[in-house]
Amino acid sequence: MKKYLSFFLAGVMAAAMLGGCGSAFDDGSSPTSAAGDSSAAQTQAAGQGETAQAPAGNTVQQGDNMIHIPSKNEFPTVDCQKNTEFYVVPLNIYDRLVECEMVDGVATIVPSLASTWDISDDGLVYTFHLRDDVTFHNGIKFTADDVVYTIERMMDPATAAMNTDFFSMIKGANAMLEGEADGVEGVKALDDYTVEITLEVPFGPFLANLATPSCSIYSREATEAAGDQFGIDPAVTVGTGPFKMADWVLNDRITLVRYDDYFKGPAKADGLQIIQVPDENTQKLMYENGELDVVDLSSSNSQLPYFMGNDAYKDNLVTGPEAGQYFYAFNQDMKPMDDVRVRKAISMAIDRQTILDQMYNGAGHVVNSMLPDGILGSYDAQEIPYDPEGARALLAEAGYGDGCELEIWQMTDNPDALAINQVVQSMLNEVGFKVSIKQIDEAAYYAERKEGRIGMTRAVWWGDFNDPDNFLYTFFTQRNTKARSINHKNTDVYQWLEDARAMIDEDERMALYQKIDTTMVQEEAAVFPLFQMDHIVVVQDWVKGFEVPWNGWTDTSYYKVSIER
Amino acid sequence: MLKYIAKRVLVTIPVLIGIVFLIFVMLSVVPGDPLTVMMGERVKVDVIERLSVTMHLNDPWYVRFGWYLWDALHGDFGTSYKLSRSVSSLIANAFPKTLLLAVTAAVLSWIIGIPAGILSAVKKNSLVDHLFMGVALCGVSIPAFSVGMLLQNVFNGILPVSGFASPRHLILPAMVLGWNAAGTIARLTRSSLLEVLEDDYIRTARAKGLAPLPVILGHALKNSLLPVITMMAIQISSLLSGAVITETLFSIPGIGRLTVDAINGRDMPLLQGTVIFTTAVIIAGNLVADILYCVVDPRIRVEGGK
Repeated sequence: MKKYLSFFLAGVMAAAMLGGCGSAFDDGSSPTSAAGDSSAAQTQAAGQGETAQAPAGNTVQQGDNMIHIPSKNEFPTVDCQKNTEFYVVPLNIYDRLVECEMVDGVATIVPSLASTWDISDDGLVYTFHLRDDVTFHNGIKFTADDVVYTIERMMDPATAAMNTDFFSMIKGANAMLEGEADGVEGVKALDDYTVEITLEVPFGPFLANLATPSCSIYSREATEAAGDQFGIDPAVTVGTGPFKMADWVLNDRITLVRYDDYFKGPAKADGLQIIQVPDENTQKLMYENGELDVVDLSSSNSQLPYFMGNDAYKDNLVTGPEAGQYFYAFNQDMKPMDDVRVRKAISMAIDRQTILDQMYNGAGHVVNSMLPDGILGSYDAQEIPYDPEGARALLAEAGYGDGCELEIWQMTDNPDALAINQVVQSMLNEVGFKVSIKQIDEAAYYAERKEGRIGMTRAVWWGDFNDPDNFLYTFFTQRNTKARSINHKNTDVYQWLEDARAMIDEDERMALYQKIDTTMVQEEAAVFPLFQMDHIVVVQDWVKGFEVPWNGWTDTSYYKVSIER
Repeated sequence: MLKYIAKRVLVTIPVLIGIVFLIFVMLSVVPGDPLTVMMGERVKVDVIERLSVTMHLNDPWYVRFGWYLWDALHGDFGTSYKLSRSVSSLIANAFPKTLLLAVTAAVLSWIIGIPAGILSAVKKNSLVDHLFMGVALCGVSIPAFSVGMLLQNVFNGILPVSGFASPRHLILPAMVLGWNAAGTIARLTRSSLLEVLEDDYIRTARAKGLAPLPVILGHALKNSLLPVITMMAIQISSLLSGAVITETLFSIPGIGRLTVDAINGRDMPLLQGTVIFTTAVIIAGNLVADILYCVVDPRIRVEGGK
């Protein structure tokens, strides 16, 4: 009797749990925004008198006017001062002083929150004339003071911002960061709609730099009031952008809705929903059943062959060049890569065109410099030849005629890297190398790389902003060359990189960057550029106006995209 | 029996502390700090240096451990490095989803598995037996992601393949987990029942001309269910610690995914929180199994639960 009772009780408990767990479903009635203040999120989003509403419930309603896109990883925060990688929400809910857009096929700096600007002759003082018709999502007007606030917030040590290097060239910025000043001396609001920024030294890329998502402009009033919930709680995270945050169910989805008072005119879609789908195959299935509208295949590239190989999707593929490239980095602190002849031999032994055609459907082109096409300062670099015999000869000359052991490092659980590393391994083995592939987990990889200790490795770099400085400074200064495990020793290059930043004459500056590039790539073979890929995205028939952004990023603004069924 | 339970519960506390300690030490030794991982490709060395000091990442591990234990005893399990939210709220949001999925899968597997096992045992070596055991074997052997992808491809458009927005979203993931669990339960039920059916007292009952199979089944079944109950409790425990692959495949924001993300991101506070939580759940599950054992088997109860 007792036994049956216990089973019965167990059954009842199970039933009770099931009933109670009904609330576990994210049906939108109790949004689990982590601040815990769910009701506030709903009312705040529903306020402001605009017509766009978050869709009822979190189920995807096919046939609605929202754009649904997937993401493989959850975002830590949408405060772009504190996150270095995930920019899709900042690109849609905030604006910057200027933007970088494709105009007639050329990446151009265009006005945004700043309508015009003057630069002093010595390149030190930038005066921005701001628009007077911009409001934040909570109705507050945007003024020059907000620009001052944004810059000071980034440099305030209490913020613990990760992107301080985007404003650190402003006079007094580093002093504030070090705790020696309460504000940034170099930024001043001259009046409500004029802000003057003075730099420590001239910095050619400054305007391009201001177009990056990390330089998004925040509201002093709203951001201060939000405290540490800014970027986390949708109810208090406001910007000036075409969409505003409505809801955030952690690890599930973020919902943005149209901001009708956007200064460039309201967006066409009702909103943007970013759904967490960690598995690429599941993303494909959701695309096919219409739950997802846009899937970035360069990011979910296990699905690339499926969509590219299928005629049915021919008209759904949107491509654009990526402002970045893949390359191999050599570590000159590790044998045998300390010898330039060995590095050149490696470069000559790899048939890049074949790899591109066979492994990547030819969707890209081979590059011979660290300045990809489309970037300011890119030039026609000399082709690095594919010459296996020459490679073998160089290897012998360097004393490795009997074979040369080489390690290629990569992260575990990275099938793309493994695939190309294996091909490269076999190509190198043909000319006398003995290559082994070493896999370590992601955290260890980054930790070791930062200390300058990883071996030859495939790497990729996409530009933050349209300037050669972003491509060369990042890898070849004294500090960065260690942090990237390249460890080159050319002190001239260290100096040239600093000099170039301060140059005012654009032609001279570009010439110097080209010299740096030629030295590092052609003469010293510190890195071996591979290819610049095409960025490929698949969009549904009913999605109009989608274009790959100037830099080929996955993260982009959806302001101009509309749904037409 | 109450003494037995109380003793078991008390033992869990040093176990939990021991586990926390172990994780702390291991994570101190393993390369990779959370900042470097978070910045990934876009690493900025000076930012990392500055923030490491602010986040006390460079303090010796025993200092950090001491602070952690102190805060934990006050119910504060820290703030996730990566997600900037309190660990307890993250777990509180993730766990109900895993709980629902686990309970559904478990109950499903028992409802299907136990009768299947019984039928197989009774009709040993018949077609039914081979069929059921074949299916059970598949459930146990085929990995979750294969079953999951298969079901996704077949049912795409008919049933939801991603997310957790409604009861319908439960169906496919519960099937994936349930098939594996049902397979185990069915095989165990069958073998356990077969063993008991061979026992002397059953033979005696039959020899004495006792009523037909169903009655004997009633006797035999009660005695054969002991290992099955243990298995059921263990299964719930393991399901509750989160089926990572299923949660990833079906985009379910449960505790399995939370734990794996914490590991990959070297997100110490979150990792500590999920490990402690999962350990507690597993210990609780085993405790329930032991109690049920006591309840179901008088011999154990009488002997004071040793």
